[in-house]
Amino acid sequence: MDKKKIMICDDDEGIIDVLEMILDEVGHTVISVNDSLKVLAAIDREQPDLLILDLWMPRLSGQEVLKHLRKHSAHHQLKVIVISASRDGEQIANDAGANQFIAKPFDLNNILDSVNALLN
Amino acid sequence: MTMALDASISGIIITDNTQQDNPIIYCNKAFEKITGYSRKEIIGHNCRFLQAQDRSQKERSILSRCIAEGVECRVEIRNYKKNGDLFWNELYMSPVKNANGEVTHFIGVQNDVTARKNAEHDLRQQKLMMEKRIEERTNELRESEAFLSSIIETVREGLLVLDPNFNVLSANNHFLRTFKVSKEETVGRQLYDLGNHQWDIPKLRDLLVKILPTNNPVVDFEVEHDFPHIGKKLMLLNAYRVEFEGQYKDQILLAIEDITERREVEIRKDDFLSIASHELRTPLTTIKGYVQLLDRAMPQNASEKFLSTFGKVSVYVERLNSLISELLDVSRIQSGNMELHMARFDFDNMITEAIEGMRTTVPGHQIILSGQTGAKVVADESHIAQVVSNLLSNAIKYAPDSEKIEVNIANVSDYVKVSVKDFGLGMSAEDRKKVFERFYRGVEIQKKFPGMGIGLYICDQIIKRHNGTLWVESEIGKGSIFSFTLPKAGKETNG
Ligand SMILES: Nc1ncnc2c1ncn2[C@@H]1O[C@H](COP(=O)(O)OP(=O)(O)OP(=O)(O)O)[C@@H](O)[C@H]1O
Ligand SMILES: [Mg+2]
Repeated sequence: MDKKKIMICDDDEGIIDVLEMILDEVGHTVISVNDSLKVLAAIDREQPDLLILDLWMPRLSGQEVLKHLRKHSAHHQLKVIVISASRDGEQIANDAGANQFIAKPFDLNNILDSVNALLN
Repeated sequence: MTMALDASISGIIITDNTQQDNPIIYCNKAFEKITGYSRKEIIGHNCRFLQAQDRSQKERSILSRCIAEGVECRVEIRNYKKNGDLFWNELYMSPVKNANGEVTHFIGVQNDVTARKNAEHDLRQQKLMMEKRIEERTNELRESEAFLSSIIETVREGLLVLDPNFNVLSANNHFLRTFKVSKEETVGRQLYDLGNHQWDIPKLRDLLVKILPTNNPVVDFEVEHDFPHIGKKLMLLNAYRVEFEGQYKDQILLAIEDITERREVEIRKDDFLSIASHELRTPLTTIKGYVQLLDRAMPQNASEKFLSTFGKVSVYVERLNSLISELLDVSRIQSGNMELHMARFDFDNMITEAIEGMRTTVPGHQIILSGQTGAKVVADESHIAQVVSNLLSNAIKYAPDSEKIEVNIANVSDYVKVSVKDFGLGMSAEDRKKVFERFYRGVEIQKKFPGMGIGLYICDQIIKRHNGTLWVESEIGKGSIFSFTLPKAGKETNG
């Protein structure tokens, strides 16, 4: 599998750490952003192949980030996996235009499978 | 003359006042008949023998006074016949005077008026009784009215009584207080005209005009409305139309409960639980991730004991996660916010996946699936999968010494049916009745197995929401079978 650039946006350091470890283990380059206000700029700068995005974040929610991405940016085609622990997460993710939704707590194999599926 | 006197039906006597003790010197036949005494027993006696021992009557003193004064009188006096029977004697007594004006004789005319007297007495008695009864009834009525009005005034609910044209006949204090209105501006007016037509609410009109006539009573009808003085309120209306004949027929009782605050609290509680469960899941996600990372990095030579201990960590992480979900579910069910996302799905597939999921967490158990439905079912797939997993996890948990669990699926008319059978502890009749209640746990089981007693409650609620049924057959020591049915076409078409 090709080495790809994956961006993670989550306000929880623990989750970032876990995702970094597993994605790194399978050979991807991982860039993490824990402040959702900075993620759009980071995308412009880093040009990732895939975004893993949390929903409930302080300041700017993942829903807002995703809507903005889909409507106003050069990255409206960017592949996005939404991960969330909230009950209505799946609905919100689909409505906002996510390519995939995975509920927290997730299974790492699930994450890897989805990443693979979206990148190939 | 004597013959004429004898023909009279009134008893007549004549006494001689010039002799000592005023003896009777004449009596006619009727007198003998009335008194039962014969002539020879009468002549020579003073009249008082007729009173027997009944000497203290006030009529006696009237008689004595009239005799002494030599004037006539009329009395009704109790007399006694020879055989002792009482009779009421209506006695006219008049003096006979000589040329010098001295009273020489008295003439007594007597009539037996016992029958009339009795009738009078009965009448009086009856009147008294009636009066007493009326007073009792009035008191009872007054009491029960006071009782009723004290109830009406104490309930924490606004109450209105309307006539069939929706004019307000009465309003209790709570109503007046809640809506900040006075009795004067309320009672006697048409409901819709009250205030600035604040009660002219289309939904309320619907309730009174369309729903109540065919659905009496109407229970818990929710209406939201923006009121003057008090703002937007959520109200629960209960209406009842009096149907029995009588003065209240067709009057309408309208109970109005302000549930604005209660609903807000419910929503806040819901929000709180959503946030809490979200926050609890976040570190749980991290823990689970680390555990899985460790699993991937597991050294080849790790000991059996290490592996099994490690395996338990994941099991308890899963358990914690499902507890969090359950808590959230209970709160949603409580506040009526459990949403169903109905969609068509492959039923057998869902069952297989649910069983597969369970197999991986408890590899020691043998879950055997039999039957197939081939059905495409319209339901909330994730909720139904949750029910199946719940039943399976109970079957595993409450059958610690048996490895086998049998799952059967089948088509039954326009339903699919699922049965989960274990060969474990089983349960008593008492438990069978209550296991679907919230927080109920088996009497014997409570101390030995962990749990909150909400798994089956949630299952039952989910199946009920789908218009299916969930039930249990079980025998202590033999095992249990939990089964549910689910309408294939979704709940709407099966109403
Ligand atoms: N398969 C079974 N065999 C015997 N008893 C059972 C079985 N399933 C449920 N019960 C009884 O019903 C009770 C309620 O079950 P329920 O699943 O609602 O709660 P729980 O298992 O105690 O806790 P949890 O909410 O964590 O599931 C249990 O405590 C147990 O007594
Ligand atoms: Mg249970």
